[in-house]
Amino acid sequence: MATEGGGKEMNEIKTQFTTREGLYKLLPHSEYSRPNRVPFNSQGSNPVRVSFVNLNDQSGNGDRLCFNVGRELYFYIYKGVRKAADLSKPIDKRIYKGTQPTCHDFNHLTATAESVSLLVGFSAGQVQLIDPIKKETSKLFNEERLIDKSRVTCVKWVPGSESLFLVAHASGNMYLYNVEHTCGTTAPHYQLLKQGESFAVHTCKSKSTRNPLLKWTVGEGALNEFAFSPDGKFLACVSQDGFLRVFNFDSVELHGTMKSYFGGLLCVCWSPDGKYIVTGGEDDLVTVWSFVDCRVIARGHGHKSWVSVVAFDPYTTSVEESDPMEFSGSDEDFQDLLHFGRDRANSTQSRLSKRNSAESRPVSVTYRFGSVGQDTQLCLWDLTEDILFPHQPLSRARTHTNVMNATSPPAGSTGNSVTTPGNSAPPPLPRSNSLPHSTVSSAGSKSSVADGAIASGVSKFATLSLHDRKDRHHEKDHKRNHSMGHISSKSSDKLNLVTKTKTDPAKTLGTPLCPRMEDVPLLEPLICKKIAHERLTVLIFLEDCLVTACQEGFICTWGRPGKVVSFNP
Amino acid sequence: MTVRNIASICNMGTNASALEKDIGPEQFPINEHYFGLVNFGNTCYCNSVLQALYFCRPFRENVLAYKAQQKKKENLLTCLADLFHSIATQKKKVGVIPPKKFISRLRKENDLFDNYMQQDAHEFLNYLLNTIADILQEEKKQEKQNGKLKNGNMNEPAENNKPELTWVHEIFQGTLTNETRCLNCETVSSKDEDFLDLSVDVEQNTSITHCLRDFSNTETLCSEQKYYCETCCSKQEAQKRMRVKKLPMILALHLKRFKYMEQLHRYTKLSYRVVFPLELRLFNTSSDAVNLDRMYDLVAVVVHCGSGPNRGHYITIVKSHGFWLLFDDDIVEKIDAQAIEEFYGLTSDISKNSESGYILFYQSRE
Repeated sequence: MATEGGGKEMNEIKTQFTTREGLYKLLPHSEYSRPNRVPFNSQGSNPVRVSFVNLNDQSGNGDRLCFNVGRELYFYIYKGVRKAADLSKPIDKRIYKGTQPTCHDFNHLTATAESVSLLVGFSAGQVQLIDPIKKETSKLFNEERLIDKSRVTCVKWVPGSESLFLVAHASGNMYLYNVEHTCGTTAPHYQLLKQGESFAVHTCKSKSTRNPLLKWTVGEGALNEFAFSPDGKFLACVSQDGFLRVFNFDSVELHGTMKSYFGGLLCVCWSPDGKYIVTGGEDDLVTVWSFVDCRVIARGHGHKSWVSVVAFDPYTTSVEESDPMEFSGSDEDFQDLLHFGRDRANSTQSRLSKRNSAESRPVSVTYRFGSVGQDTQLCLWDLTEDILFPHQPLSRARTHTNVMNATSPPAGSTGNSVTTPGNSAPPPLPRSNSLPHSTVSSAGSKSSVADGAIASGVSKFATLSLHDRKDRHHEKDHKRNHSMGHISSKSSDKLNLVTKTKTDPAKTLGTPLCPRMEDVPLLEPLICKKIAHERLTVLIFLEDCLVTACQEGFICTWGRPGKVVSFNP
Repeated sequence: MTVRNIASICNMGTNASALEKDIGPEQFPINEHYFGLVNFGNTCYCNSVLQALYFCRPFRENVLAYKAQQKKKENLLTCLADLFHSIATQKKKVGVIPPKKFISRLRKENDLFDNYMQQDAHEFLNYLLNTIADILQEEKKQEKQNGKLKNGNMNEPAENNKPELTWVHEIFQGTLTNETRCLNCETVSSKDEDFLDLSVDVEQNTSITHCLRDFSNTETLCSEQKYYCETCCSKQEAQKRMRVKKLPMILALHLKRFKYMEQLHRYTKLSYRVVFPLELRLFNTSSDAVNLDRMYDLVAVVVHCGSGPNRGHYITIVKSHGFWLLFDDDIVEKIDAQAIEEFYGLTSDISKNSESGYILFYQSRE
């Protein structure tokens, strides 16, 4: 066996790599870790995670990062590609006893130079709200572990909210909290709000308002990660049972599901425009799922072990400048095109020529995403037009169009798409139109994601004060307050559909929930590099760099092409 | 308030009734028995494999059915059947049983195991399955001959050269197809090969899925390893790949963690971290595979603890009625599914001493 030579090659850790946009370089001076820089002995400990926040303080040095290593939590000034890290002076450092930090999230809305709101989840189930700048007394949620005793797997602020946050646990439950409320001195009593086969949502029955506001039970086994859509209205959850479940967060409806090829799904992320979801899991694969069509459009194989983080690179993702209005405007033209062929579709001429010119360039619609795994490798992937719109290049685009435009799906839109749950349902619409696009055109693609989330969140805040209402009036309330409300009434048949198709995970193979390997395109990674000694647990794309971290507690900054010159070690 | 419930594993003092309490009277499965096996001097290699096999349901059922048949002359299989039967018919739900008769029979039958040394659990598994298959085949042959004698029909074609398939084969046997393509004449020759388990090489920080992919990867036979091509009538360079053609009902995967070090003149342990999911499909199937869709569930893992093949200790974790149990000779404990990750291995190459998955048993869902 050639393991000897192979082994040596394996042990070589890359410090740079090249893609078509240029050379990415590890910046050794921008490495963050515990102050002593000693590798953390990670056996049996929770994954190292990193959270960023910008203090919006005009100084240009407003970036802060937080990371957990073992039972410690650090808060540093992040100098990125510009300056070497100064590890001697963490702004804040905390060491916990009896319970370990597992995940954290900053509130980007409220962050200022004087104060930040950082949520920290713990291995024993508690959640702490701390301010590492003010260092004021913190709040502790689920302190007595009456709400959930299992490990917190993911904690995030509800987009656009200053007070609501969502916490997922290894128990498979998620809870919605309000920082203003207490957790009560007794175990919460729940009342069913909504139920589907693989999920149930309960409200907390209590005379006085208390946490949790809502309890979501999702699938079987641990809920490993969740992610809000860029506009904050949808929630993608991945679980140990191997399912991706996408919910409409406001109406508590299941929008669509997907099953891994096998094994648990460990991570999930949204494309910047909210059209695609990528998951990674124990089948060593990354899987690309179309939010609109509710189907798997590609899988990617490059990792040699489980995929622990997936993330889109919004700065390299180029969804062609062709403004979405044109998409929607020419909907009927597309129909013509399909039926009569290209030459007859005069009205689409402009569109076509545009498209042709786009084809001559290799990158017209390209989404870039990355993944890191337990194999200590970083993979970058391009999701290109030929994958997104196979065979009939425009037909797929049309599906989008229809959905974006119409309030109810036109008959034509279902024609060539798969009969997945939610496919015929219009939920994505108002959303994809409203925000990412409008923001893109005004603010440029770079900030669109964040802006979008903030913009959309406002309405959500209002809806989520569920506790103020009588439970049985929820649906009504939703209808009244929300443009999305009308969807909820249709929900029941959608759910039934889901129920039927997904009873036995073993029998999902060959169905839209889990197509066979040969039935969907298999992506190869653009690059696939071993970049650490230990399994990787973090991948974040920032404007001028990417950030990775491994289980040993080293947070690495990789300068993007052309972004390293200013930094002189 | 510890991170995980691993502490319970280390708690060697837990006795049988504690296990019953841990599972809970309501949750305790009806007609199920969790019995530890007494160690008769380094027999954990044997105990661990027996426990894993006991919780491979099709295997257990066939062994118990064998016991139900009329009394036979003692052999390794009758001893195993007696042992399984005695576990399955215990009044108590939990406890300890000495597998004395089985061990002494094993020592009598095979010199290799006739000592108090630590043995390789995989070697024992191989030996046990093959011996049982031989016994069953021999019995079938005998039955046939007896039948023929009775019928007085001695002139049937001698098809006895091809041994009949036994339930051991029905449970564990799969088929590999070994395709070799001569790089000179491009002729592809394929040869099928049956297996009862697959031995795969391990690499640091990989998954069992990757190890299986690697197992099937195309390999070029060149220089000293050239392949004799029947068409060219000479040794030629060739490409070879091995893929699974028939997937077994129970897929036993042996991780080759013991590697002979030339310089040291002894085996060393590769404690690499190799993750294994609770659910598995195979990627390395041939296109004409009959049942390549099979979804497998992890049902048992034989874990090697220590630094070398002839030292250390074997334990087994099994899944039974939805929860996980750890069998450490006479000790049985309920463990958290989360604790399984403790048995993936180590990411550090320095330490050889680990508790790491050694034989994985995956059972097909259908």
